[in-house]
Amino acid sequence: MPWDLRSVTMQTSPAPELDATAGITPDILDGGLADDLAAASLAIARRFHAGATMWCIAPKWEPHAHHMAVEFVHPVIVGKRALPALALTDPDIVAQARVSVRAGDIVIAVASADDPKVLDLMRRAPAWGALSVWIGSGARPPNGAADHVLWIDDANPLAPATGRFVLMYHLLWELTHVCFEHPGLLVEQPGDCTDEVCVTCSDEGRLAEVLLPPADSLGPALVRTAGGEEYIDVTLVAPVERDDLVLIHAGTALTRVGDQGW
Amino acid sequence: MVSSENTGFLYPFIEAEERDSGSLLGDLAASARDKAHESSALQLSTLAACAHDVLAAGDQMADRFAAGGRLYAFGNGGSSTDAATFAALFAQPVSGRPLPALNLAADQAVVTALGNDVGFELVFSRQIIAHSSSKDIAVAFSTSGNSADLLTALREASRRGLLTIGFAGYTGGEMGEAKEVDYCFVVRSQSIHRIQESQALLGYQLWASTQRDLARRTASLQATRPGGTA
Repeated sequence: MPWDLRSVTMQTSPAPELDATAGITPDILDGGLADDLAAASLAIARRFHAGATMWCIAPKWEPHAHHMAVEFVHPVIVGKRALPALALTDPDIVAQARVSVRAGDIVIAVASADDPKVLDLMRRAPAWGALSVWIGSGARPPNGAADHVLWIDDANPLAPATGRFVLMYHLLWELTHVCFEHPGLLVEQPGDCTDEVCVTCSDEGRLAEVLLPPADSLGPALVRTAGGEEYIDVTLVAPVERDDLVLIHAGTALTRVGDQGW
Repeated sequence: MVSSENTGFLYPFIEAEERDSGSLLGDLAASARDKAHESSALQLSTLAACAHDVLAAGDQMADRFAAGGRLYAFGNGGSSTDAATFAALFAQPVSGRPLPALNLAADQAVVTALGNDVGFELVFSRQIIAHSSSKDIAVAFSTSGNSADLLTALREASRRGLLTIGFAGYTGGEMGEAKEVDYCFVVRSQSIHRIQESQALLGYQLWASTQRDLARRTASLQATRPGGTA
C-alpha cells in the first residue's frame, strides 16, 4: 500500500471539476423559514422603534457579526435610517454581552446549534430583557433556545462561506425596514399575546441572573431580570453564585436553571 | 441596493391606525421568498458566466500557493467582512488544505495608522507594499468596482507581480476595465445585497477550484515519488 500523501493534508477529496450549481438553493425559504424571517423582522423593528441596540455575535465566524452590524448601522440605501447595531467579538462573549446588553435590546447570533457560548448567551437573554435571534444551519438548536430561530436545513459545513447567512441577514435588514413603513404595527398589540398564560406579560416564572449572592444564609440575593434589578429570596435554591440563572415567582427563586436548560 | 419596483404591494396601509399584523407578515414572507429566488437565479447566471475564469484563476492561485505564496483579501464595509470570510475559508477550511490568507482590514492599529497618516486611499496598498512578494495573490471585494483604496492596492499589487483578482458588481466599474486586474468577477446586478450573495458563492467556488488544483498536484507528486503508484 503506497503512502498516501493526500491523507496528510486533505481530509476530503474535492470533486474534480466545477459544479456550477453547488451551494445554490432557490427553495431555501420555501418551507417555514420565510414566515420565521417575517416574524423576526417585525419583532426586531418593534424593538428598534422602542430604542433597542442590536448586538451582533458570531463566535466562529466573526465577519458575519461585523457584516450584520454594518448592515444596520450604515445602510446600503441612502435615506434609510441608521440603526444602532454593534458587533461583539470578545473571546468571553457572554461576559461582554452581559455588560453591554440593556433591557429591551436585541441579541442576534450566527452560530451552529452546538456552540456552547451562544447556547449560554441565548439562555441568559430573557434575564437581560433581550430579544434573541439565532441564525444557523445544520442540526437545529433545542426548541425555545431563542425567541426567533432562523434555520437553514443544510448540514454542509461550508454553508457559512457560500453566502446563505449573508442572504439571511440581508433579508432581515430589508424586511425590518419594510416594517418601519407600518407605524401602526410597531407597537405590540394586546391581541398579539394569545397564550392562556402569557409569560411575557405576567409574573409567572421570570428568569433572573444573580448579581450579588446573599451576604448571609438567610439574606436576599440581588438579581437582574427583564424588568430591572430586584432583591429576591433564594433560600429554596441556596447556595447561589454570581451569574447563576434562577426562575423566580413573587419575589422568590423557585428553581435553578442549569446548563441543560429548564 | 434594494430595487423599489414591485414593492408597492408591501405598503397597502401606511396609516398609523394599522393594527393587524397578519397581512404584513404574509407580505414579508412572500417578499423574502421572492428575494431568495432572485438571489439564487443571480448566483446561477453569475457562475455560468464566470465558470471558465474561476477554473483559470483557481489554477493560477494554486501555482502561487504551491510556490509558497500568500493571499491578501480586502474590501470596504460589508465587503471587508466578505473578504474576511474568504480569507478564513483559505486559512481555516473545514476540509481541504489550510493556505496562508490574510484579511487586510483585520488590524485596527494598521488601518487607523495608515488612514490617519497617509489617507484612506492607501490603507491597503501600503500593506501590499510592506508585506507582499511576487508569488502572492491580491483579492479585492467591491460592489461598485470603483473604490479608490481597492483600485490603488490592485494596481500596486500588479506592479509587484502579484496575481490580482477583483470582485465587482453592476457592470464592473473601473475594476472591470483595469488592465492591472488579471481576473475580475462581475456580478451583473443593481442590488448591493444580491451582488454580495453571489460574490460569496463565487469566492467559495474559487477556493474549491484552488483546492482541486492543489490536490491534483499533490497526487501527481505522490505518483512520481519512489514507491509511488506510478
